[in-house]
Amino acid sequence: DKKQINKAFNSILILLNSFFHSFIFYCYSFVASQHHHHHHFISFFHFYTSHGYITFNLLISSRIEGNIYKMHTSSSNLKREFLKKWVRGLQICCSSKKEMDLQERKKKIKLCADIALASAKNATTSWSNALISEAKKDGENAILVDNLVGPESYFEPTKTAHRTTGNCHRRVRSKKILKKSCNVGQRFKKKMGPPRFDLATYVAKRLVKKRTQVLKRLVPGGEAMDEFSLIKEALDYILSLRVQVDVMRSFANATELLNQSHVSSIVD
Amino acid sequence: MSSRRSRSRQPRVSRISDDQIAGLVSKLQQLIPHNIHTTHSDKVSASRVLQETCNYIRSLHREVDDLSERLSELLQSTDTNSAEADIIRSLFM
Repeated sequence: DKKQINKAFNSILILLNSFFHSFIFYCYSFVASQHHHHHHFISFFHFYTSHGYITFNLLISSRIEGNIYKMHTSSSNLKREFLKKWVRGLQICCSSKKEMDLQERKKKIKLCADIALASAKNATTSWSNALISEAKKDGENAILVDNLVGPESYFEPTKTAHRTTGNCHRRVRSKKILKKSCNVGQRFKKKMGPPRFDLATYVAKRLVKKRTQVLKRLVPGGEAMDEFSLIKEALDYILSLRVQVDVMRSFANATELLNQSHVSSIVD
Repeated sequence: MSSRRSRSRQPRVSRISDDQIAGLVSKLQQLIPHNIHTTHSDKVSASRVLQETCNYIRSLHREVDDLSERLSELLQSTDTNSAEADIIRSLFM
């Protein structure tokens, strides 16, 4: 909906711009036909309209491009930040031992990638904070995390997470009691008359509930979120995961190309 | 015990409207890869969108895992004596 409004607004601006342009042309030609008596007026008019025209054009193009530009810069910024931090992390953890077996190196690469992605978000999202605090729990990662994230303390988010999990448990418990009392009532009413609740809606709600539980386990820190924040965080998490995959894939392709070119140069 | 009961019986008014949640769900729907099942994409159920979201996140996790494994293999097999290996090594070793 917002996109449509934006598009409509932009098209109106373009239309106005064309009208403005033709209006200027008409005025200029009109004034030029009588230029014998209006020298100063012409120059002033010309300057004003050309200046206004230019700024108007700039306004329009920046509006149209602004939206697209904003979309691209945020993801390309994230890509850049992620790559920087990932490479730095790999330097830290892969420099210590020369010979590592395949699985160990793979785990380190993956760990660096996850922490780099989360720290590239700069504590703006809940899932990234949860990921970092989870990584900090393991003592071995302390150096890596401190280097990538910086020595700021992330104790605040973990505290709030614990508080909300307490609330969640209380809410779950009271919901269970509510459900039990509802079921007890319905067991009697079923035999009496038509069912009070709509079966389709009931099943749909149960499905949504089940799927939400699964999503909570997939998004880092999701267990302590309400449904609204969970979906918001999932949106950002998916976009960030895409960035991670894109950068890692390009890196792997580049490394492969380097290896291949080397092999071919040896054969030659 | 009875006080807890009465508290749970109160109507649970969600502070966030259903419209807002529906808007978020539609945004999710735009993100996840379109497949043939979403031909009637106007009325896709929320549970379906959530399911596809979970599947998509899981597939992204798997891709990261595969890429890490691939990179680990590539780095292991780089020849020790070469300019290219030096580049890679200088990058992150």
